[in-house]
Amino acid sequence: MAKVKGTHHVVSASLTGTGAPAYLKSDGSWASTLSEAAPFHSPEEAEARAKTADRSDQRLVCDPYTFTVLLADGTPQPISERERIRAEGPSVRVRRPD
Amino acid sequence: MYQYDTYDKTLVHQRAKQFGGQVERRLSGETTELEFKPLRLQNGLYMQLHAYMLRVAIPYGLLSSEQMRTLAHIARKYDRGYGHFTTRQNIQYNWPKLGEVPKLLEELADVEMQAIQTSGNCIRNTTSDPFAGVAPDELEDPRPYCELIRQWSTLHPEFAFLPRKFKIAVTGTPDHDRAAIRYHDIGIRIVNNDAGETGFQIWVGGGLGRTPFIASVVREFLPYEHLLSYLESILRVYNLHGRRDNKYKARIKILVSELGVEKFTEEVEADWQHFKEGAMKLTREEIDRVRKAFAPPDYEQLPDEDLRLQAQQLSGDRAYAQWLKNNVRSHKQPGYSIVVLSLKAKDTPPGDVSDTQMDAIADLSDKYSLGHIVVTHQQNLVFPDVRQKDLPELYQALAKLDMATPNFERVTDAICCPGLDYCALANARSIPVALQIAERFENIDYQDDIGPCSVKISGCINACGHHHVGNIGILGIDKHGQEAYQLMLGGCESDEASLGKVIGPAFSQDEVVDALENVLRKYVEVRLSEDETFIQCFRRLGMQPFKEAAYASDQG
Repeated sequence: MAKVKGTHHVVSASLTGTGAPAYLKSDGSWASTLSEAAPFHSPEEAEARAKTADRSDQRLVCDPYTFTVLLADGTPQPISERERIRAEGPSVRVRRPD
Repeated sequence: MYQYDTYDKTLVHQRAKQFGGQVERRLSGETTELEFKPLRLQNGLYMQLHAYMLRVAIPYGLLSSEQMRTLAHIARKYDRGYGHFTTRQNIQYNWPKLGEVPKLLEELADVEMQAIQTSGNCIRNTTSDPFAGVAPDELEDPRPYCELIRQWSTLHPEFAFLPRKFKIAVTGTPDHDRAAIRYHDIGIRIVNNDAGETGFQIWVGGGLGRTPFIASVVREFLPYEHLLSYLESILRVYNLHGRRDNKYKARIKILVSELGVEKFTEEVEADWQHFKEGAMKLTREEIDRVRKAFAPPDYEQLPDEDLRLQAQQLSGDRAYAQWLKNNVRSHKQPGYSIVVLSLKAKDTPPGDVSDTQMDAIADLSDKYSLGHIVVTHQQNLVFPDVRQKDLPELYQALAKLDMATPNFERVTDAICCPGLDYCALANARSIPVALQIAERFENIDYQDDIGPCSVKISGCINACGHHHVGNIGILGIDKHGQEAYQLMLGGCESDEASLGKVIGPAFSQDEVVDALENVLRKYVEVRLSEDETFIQCFRRLGMQPFKEAAYASDQG
């Protein structure tokens, strides 16, 4: 994966119990919010952490993968619309009004 | 409607219990996601962007009021208080927890419902005409055959791991296809032959997705008793020759295209000669047994009402008159009508219904429609058996539920997939585009002036929103990490089937509804008369005038 200047990489997965997004923290545990994710400088390091998580945390999470972020005040911000919506939830009302 | 027998009941309960064990082993870490995934998929459980998603089968779209109440209960107890009716007559729940799904499936099994084969590379829910059994132009009710196909295909050992998913649709109205049979892996059309006998015309190789195809006829007339044996031969040829090396070339449409329809048909016919007189041959007794479940109810003997007069008598209630004109259709039984409940109200994702609305729909169906509800592939609901004298009262009740929007087959009756708001495969959001269209064209007079025009929106090339066959299709794409939308014109899913063509470069989300409106303004300007529909006008004039209109910066 080519490195784009100024970008970092985070590891994400889905929690096995709920399917909710989970983000790998620097201590190896999983957070429910992107802001707590550990940003990795190199895509290779992030990929390696994702592979490790796929083996060691397979009970807790499913299908770890990496994606690219920008840091704003040290906090990861998604670049793609997909990861923004995944982190924030659906952009539309999630229930038809009664 | 069909009632489960002992075999059906045992099967669905056993399956729920079996899945309970599989879930338990997954949650304990005994099995990995890689091992569990094919098991959960064959029970309709997907992993989406924010959560699991469970797709529940609604065979040929038909629900009893009791089943609808259970769907409401499930939305309340296991989800976030709503469900989403899909473009294949099913319902999806967007937020179930894995550990609770087996119990959910048990509750579904109690009302003869399940999620078996709603995903995975197997034969999916058979779909049909939402007006089946009550349409005045119907040759024969297709639902008994759909039910036979359901029974035959459920856990069929030979077809559990096909090269790719497989979808079948059946229509009993040869001259008005409301089931989009030409876009299914197999489309079945009930027809009469020259001798006046009833049988099936068989279409194969249709489909949408990244490589859309209109199906071809492989058999002009198939006697009724051979339905299942012939389907087996088609599936067997596909199972043998369909590609498994490339999922994008694995659907039967690619096989039919690569082999050629003549060669494919030869293979099917050759296989069928070995099996046509075998165990799959249907007897008249067996067909009659299933048909009995769909026998017409004891309709009251009523005169047809003058609906226009009825509207006038309600002191010129325009909204009611518009609803009567657009959402109420003719019934085969005098004094009765078919009513379409619009799930396309402004500010609401197409197809979404809350738990309390589902309960209310169930109650209304008991009161006004003999306890039956049909889900349409256009993401609406149908009350198939409404006494015409009850229409004013039903209208008032539906209006309170926000389900009386008089937009059936109008521009705001857009169907759309969940898109990037929910779907892990999507490239762009589709629901916000549908909501923008609903807002822009809210004025029903404006929509009535435009007339029948289907709008179909997909958030990616997989085409769950059927964008290829919308008179106007919208396809969400990813353009350098940002959402963009291609506009397509000229699609049609019915008898004069055609695939839409991309109009040109993609639009941003801010631009796409303007472009759509510009196209429709051009149509209103250039149509020969109000009787010339958008699709007829497009076919007469071609793409150019509409393309110019779409890219005009401002038509004022």
